[in-house]
Amino acid sequence: MTLTTIWLLPMIGAGLIAFMPPRLAKWMGVVVALAALAVAADVAFSFAPGYHGYQFTEAAPWIPQLTIFYRLGLDGISLWLVVLNAFLTVIAILATPVKTRNVSRFVALMLAMSAGLAGVFMATDLVLFYVFWEAMLIPAYFLLWIFGEGERPDRAALKFVLYTLAGSLLMLVGVIGEYVATGKQTFDLATLATLAPSPSIQFALFFVFALAFAIKTPLFPFHSWLPDAYMAAPTPMLITFAGVMGKAGAYGFLRIAVPLFPQPVDWWDWRWVIPVLAVAAIIWGALMAIASRDMKLLVAYSSVSHMGFIVLGIFALNVQGQQGAVLQMINHGIIISALFLIVAWISDRAGTRDRSAMAGLAARMPVMAGIFFVVTLAALGLPGLNSFVGEFMTLLGAWQRAPVLALFGAIGLVLAPVYMLRLFQGTMQGAPAGPVPRSDIYAGQLVLLAPLIVLMFAIGLDPNVLTNLMTSLGQVGLAR
Amino acid sequence: MISALGLMGAPMIPAPDLTYSWAQALADLGQIAAIATLTGFFLFAIVTDLVLPKRRRGGAVAIVAVTGFTYSLGTAVYRWRYAQGGYAYHQFATGDNFALFFEILFATLGILTVALSHSYLKKRGMLESEFHILIMAAVIGMMVLGSATSLVTIFLGLELLSIALYIACGFSRRESRSQEAAAKYLLVGGFASAFVLYGMALIYGGAGTTVIPEIAKRLDASAAGNPLILLGIVLMGVGFAFKVSAAPFHMWTPDVYQGAPLPVTAFMSVGTKAAAFAMIVRVFAGGLPHLAPEWQALLAFVAATSMVIGNVMAIAQSSLKRLLAYSGVAQAGYILIGVIAGGQSGLAAVLYYLFVYMFMNFGAFAVITLLAGPDGDRDRFDDLEGLAKRSPLMAVLMSVFMLSLAGFPPSVGFFGKLFLFTAGVSAGYTWLVVLAVVMSVVSVFYYVRVLIPVWSSSTRTDRLPASISSSAVIWLSGLAAVGLGIYPTTLLIAGQLGANPISGP
Repeated sequence: MTLTTIWLLPMIGAGLIAFMPPRLAKWMGVVVALAALAVAADVAFSFAPGYHGYQFTEAAPWIPQLTIFYRLGLDGISLWLVVLNAFLTVIAILATPVKTRNVSRFVALMLAMSAGLAGVFMATDLVLFYVFWEAMLIPAYFLLWIFGEGERPDRAALKFVLYTLAGSLLMLVGVIGEYVATGKQTFDLATLATLAPSPSIQFALFFVFALAFAIKTPLFPFHSWLPDAYMAAPTPMLITFAGVMGKAGAYGFLRIAVPLFPQPVDWWDWRWVIPVLAVAAIIWGALMAIASRDMKLLVAYSSVSHMGFIVLGIFALNVQGQQGAVLQMINHGIIISALFLIVAWISDRAGTRDRSAMAGLAARMPVMAGIFFVVTLAALGLPGLNSFVGEFMTLLGAWQRAPVLALFGAIGLVLAPVYMLRLFQGTMQGAPAGPVPRSDIYAGQLVLLAPLIVLMFAIGLDPNVLTNLMTSLGQVGLAR
Repeated sequence: MISALGLMGAPMIPAPDLTYSWAQALADLGQIAAIATLTGFFLFAIVTDLVLPKRRRGGAVAIVAVTGFTYSLGTAVYRWRYAQGGYAYHQFATGDNFALFFEILFATLGILTVALSHSYLKKRGMLESEFHILIMAAVIGMMVLGSATSLVTIFLGLELLSIALYIACGFSRRESRSQEAAAKYLLVGGFASAFVLYGMALIYGGAGTTVIPEIAKRLDASAAGNPLILLGIVLMGVGFAFKVSAAPFHMWTPDVYQGAPLPVTAFMSVGTKAAAFAMIVRVFAGGLPHLAPEWQALLAFVAATSMVIGNVMAIAQSSLKRLLAYSGVAQAGYILIGVIAGGQSGLAAVLYYLFVYMFMNFGAFAVITLLAGPDGDRDRFDDLEGLAKRSPLMAVLMSVFMLSLAGFPPSVGFFGKLFLFTAGVSAGYTWLVVLAVVMSVVSVFYYVRVLIPVWSSSTRTDRLPASISSSAVIWLSGLAAVGLGIYPTTLLIAGQLGANPISGP
């Protein structure tokens, strides 16, 4: 029941909070999210490293006619994503201003989305995974649309939903196809990982699954929903939307596409197509970030670039790469949340998101500048901060697979300082110009960022705490 | 000439045993108990309408109708649990699980319709008692279709259902659109009936009997070489496609749905479709199992065109009734996948989907019914504006129905599609399933578009008037649309039990 609590608690909380008055809603939301985080943390502390198979498993027959089970379980990969999700939900709800219109509905939808995400990471039955995967779209859609910013948030929301659905409905064919093709009448992920269909069927199934995950991640040619959606999303939502939901796609690759289809070879080898796209995403995202003047857009494109590293690590198909990818999922979740928050606060004070319209803000808000500097360094991968370890491991893994992948991937490492430092220097340093910020960072905002900053240092200095537990894998097919 | 075509090749039928005992009559009546019960109440309702003073008629007949449906439902459920189903009236009808499943479905639908239309008819100033009586007649027709195992009884049910609905479509007498809908439905419906009848005649010519289990025995795979049998299949298929409003025979659907009063639209969008699918399954899967490749090819074509045309046309609609009409065309295409896949899993999926489709589609229409004013139905997108302010719970329920129709988990729409598609892929119709999935993405666009006026900010803040009975209908539909999705097992078991169109002794 422990794992069920992690998703059911926010779900029930969402149902109740939707009808509460604003101020109460926010703090009840925080309490519920903290409770879920406490359960997740408890699971993390009692987690056994090196164990083969899922831990904390739950199984109950759900639709026996199709042998669909309600199966939950955690291994070293999903554990950290569940913890990250619970943690960022707390931050996101704390970051929600009480004066937001319909704040109780906002908090309720955030909790519902968080519940769906937790379910995606914990499900070990393919249909259950799919149910959570699609169900979390509903709160995400309403959040984007009703609470979205910009001129046409409804368009951005619809674009996001249609893009994602185009992939995930085809994945439904894949789910059914896997059930039929293996001929063993099971949706259990651990069992399916041992039953690979023939390579040509794997080729087709890999395609539909990978397409869904590539759109969600998003990978290079499928990313065009992301700028619109991230631009429209309100900042508190972005913390879980960019910080966690983006990881769901990468997690899908790692949990389903790689282990279930080890030989997706027919006309060509899918296992080479994806890393090439990942490298393209790294470079393309970085270039687009350099070209963006809107700070929020810049961070959004940097996210595309960073997700490229994660996918590259997964398709290195070795231990370094995949552990680096999981580590990088956590790191990116922490960094992107901090970046979006800071960018939102700066533009809130300056009255514009155009980075070329402001300069020398550091003189007027020194504390904000200091925090921003730390986050910038973390985002560009400075050794000693968290992102360095993850990116280094993914590139190391990619090098072992094929040096050329690592070489081109490393271009992203070169470009990251360009756009991050230009953003920082352009807005913070130099002679003060442009709009005058109202104030420096508030104490409350500082407290909100503090745990994120602490984690950046902690993971950067001792990543072993995370990677130790990653040695416990739930199923065969992943590099140990 | 005739013998060359093989019509004379049908075996001679022994003279039927015409002895008919009282015990047999009672047993036969038991097999159709749900229909008989409802017919009794139907007659009672007519008498009630005659004897009561004018202003008390409506409510009284509504009560009689709901009681009748409830008794009928109870009878069907009782027989499902405790009685042995089997053929009745020399195999002209049956009380098997397949029939009972549909009797339960139609009785539930009847209750929902009467409860929904009560306040609507009052508001619009329409004749109430006549309306309920017509609905009862139509439901009897649907039940006959569900339990018919002879081409003759099938046609009987089809006509009973259709004639009642022709009148109901034109029930808004002072509205020209309603009149137009009735006329159009009458013409097209008559046309479809003629097709069905012509096809049946040819099948009868080939098999020498109208009894479906006998046809299944007599028409083996060699009949596929007989052009008249094939023509019969095609003609019946065309007629059936008209009735389920599957493309390319769907042209009447949007006009009729738009013109008919809302409760009628809601009723026929679900009921006619389910009854026609019962007919398709009984005749094709039950009666012509050896000719499966032939009718499967025909239905696969119809399913594919329905999904494409229905979904694409729905995008451009600005009237909710028309939108739901085209969505119904598309949904008919999805359901046909289950019929084509066949077997227990395919037919169970069809039965499951038809049952849950009742709740999600009827619920959506029911919410629109609340918007209707005394002068007419209000089914433009603009009319939904501000629903979230006017009645937050109705807005939530409308969202549930739309997301369910779009196939989002954990609603019934998703699980229905999951079962249908699993059956389709297992039977080797992967291309059809892929097409269905691609078109589902299109469908999300227009279903979600309905929600935009519902949730967008608006200046309208007047409360939405909703009578207790209408609210209860919508609530029940909403709960079923989620509850039967989170826990689909029992209904799916029922579907599996009912999935045999030629069961029994």
